[in-house]
Amino acid sequence: MQSTFESQYPLELKYFRRILKKLEQDVLRMGTLVEDSFRLSHQALFERQLEAVEKVALLDKRIDQYYRQIESDCSSLMILQSPVAQDLRFLSACMQLVRDLERIGDYSKDLAEIAIRSFLYTPHDCIKEIEQMSHHAQFMLATSLVALADLDGEVGRQIKQLDDTVDDAYDRVYQILAFQKDLKGVVEPILLMGLTIRHLERMADHATNIGQRVSYIVTGLRN
Amino acid sequence: MPFVTLLLGLVIGLVIGYWGQREINRQLKDILNSLSDTRDRKAAFSIPSLIRRELAHLQEEKQDLLRQVEAWENLLLKVPIAYLQVDSDNHLIWCNKKARSLLSIDRWQAGQVRLLLELVRSSELDQLIEKTRSTGETQVKKWVFYRDYYSSSPVNSYDSRISLQAISYLLPEREVGVFLENQESLTKAYQNWERSISDLTHELRTPLTSISLLAETLAKRLQSQEKKWSELILNQTNRLINLIETWLQISELQENPRQQLHYQEVELHSLINLVWEDLKPIAELQEISLSYAGGEQIYIQADSSRLTQVFANLLDNAIKHSPSQSIIKIEITLQEQTVIIDVIDAGDGFSATDLPYVFERLYRGDSSRSRHTSSSRQGSGLGLSIVQQIVQAHQGSIIAQNHPITGGAWLQITLPLKPV
Repeated sequence: MQSTFESQYPLELKYFRRILKKLEQDVLRMGTLVEDSFRLSHQALFERQLEAVEKVALLDKRIDQYYRQIESDCSSLMILQSPVAQDLRFLSACMQLVRDLERIGDYSKDLAEIAIRSFLYTPHDCIKEIEQMSHHAQFMLATSLVALADLDGEVGRQIKQLDDTVDDAYDRVYQILAFQKDLKGVVEPILLMGLTIRHLERMADHATNIGQRVSYIVTGLRN
Repeated sequence: MPFVTLLLGLVIGLVIGYWGQREINRQLKDILNSLSDTRDRKAAFSIPSLIRRELAHLQEEKQDLLRQVEAWENLLLKVPIAYLQVDSDNHLIWCNKKARSLLSIDRWQAGQVRLLLELVRSSELDQLIEKTRSTGETQVKKWVFYRDYYSSSPVNSYDSRISLQAISYLLPEREVGVFLENQESLTKAYQNWERSISDLTHELRTPLTSISLLAETLAKRLQSQEKKWSELILNQTNRLINLIETWLQISELQENPRQQLHYQEVELHSLINLVWEDLKPIAELQEISLSYAGGEQIYIQADSSRLTQVFANLLDNAIKHSPSQSIIKIEITLQEQTVIIDVIDAGDGFSATDLPYVFERLYRGDSSRSRHTSSSRQGSGLGLSIVQQIVQAHQGSIIAQNHPITGGAWLQITLPLKPV
């Protein structure tokens, strides 16, 4: 939030501002951990770095801790401080936002598990395109976090357009995977790739949601 | 009569006025004296002008200090090391040019009040700052920083990874200052070196194997003196092959610790006994014996053959450096989730200069220690190195020190009972 601390605010209001800032910091911390987790699962899946998998598991626990803590902080602030207007929107949007972040974290853990299983197989032809999807989804997550940091309602809307790219890629790769003929050996590698693109598409959707919630904080409109 | 009262009243009034004035002047003089007592005070100067002079002097001092602060800030701004400062609530209050470019802080201008986390989404940096505040001590941390996806396009994002080293300081009012350095060139240089050595060792393997085979064949066909020479060649060649194999093992363990290990249920006491049985003939030459303390059934999840390697190396070292008729002690302590293994000998111990380097590859310490052994049992210099690698691959740790009682070498290994 870009704000200047005005010393003519009454003491309770200043205290409230500080609490809101601390809450924002916690949300950004959680967001950063989710970004780290996403990046690590990408490395596990596409760069075959299996050490990354363990780190994802550890991060997931911390992400869940933050989720529970922020949710409880938001609800207690809403009850005790009775905020209005943008502050109220901020608190209610944060509660929803951390849910989206937590989901992205969970999908990231799923991707790490897929990485372990797909390690045994040679990479599929589509892997390059799926890797691009992952990069794109991570870019969307980063963009949504920047939008939150700057409280930029415009960027929130732009992420919606980025989502279309991921959806198109999903459709393309799905077509290739679903209509593969004359398979030699087991179908697991195809299955794993299918799950991967599904997870990535969901992660991109959750990033889009975050962007839209930021829009809501700023404009008060849901679109 | 009324004239006298009038006069009296006037006089009293003047006295009070004069006294009041004196009182004020006295207080002003006290204030002036408290401000600076080194300046000469010409009693001839009036109080207001003294006050004016004092204020002008203070103003000049203030300007001087402001200039100095500005000079320091300008210097820090241009310094080739990145620096940033956050306040007690983690708002970024200042950063220099290098910090901006290193961490891609491009959405902030001086004077804006923004959380550091809004501008640089690095959990390691955030944790470093929190730790500095909670411990009150300077912290040093190294990590790989990924430049903000947002500032670069989605495609070539992983080119922007930097190895950073950060040193943080706690400042007054719970502010924290952090110096950051780009270690990327160092990391790259080290990786290049590692790769070169690895390539070299691979290349050396094949010719050495051929030489070894030929030497073996020769040894079988020759007689007396020539036979001895070819056996020497074989010996030395095998020593080289051993060195290379161990080096490669260490590198592989470093690269992929998890993939190299095959975990099984291992009982420590029996494993150590097996290793000692192998070494007994050599130990008995010097009448060195083993004392074991710690329990009969200590089970741990580990790679059996690697652990055997660890104890073989440690016990071999201990035998090499133990005097005759001494005892090598092994003590095992079982804790909730870990087991601690102490290997203590009664030799000369490590020299103070060697101690920080004992686990480095090919480090052999000062020459006096290697003189104890005959040339056929000379160490490769990699023994402790591979022990450390194996222990660390098991997610354990090892410490080398000198034992306070025996004066000999004391190696303490901590291993988790189960891999995490």
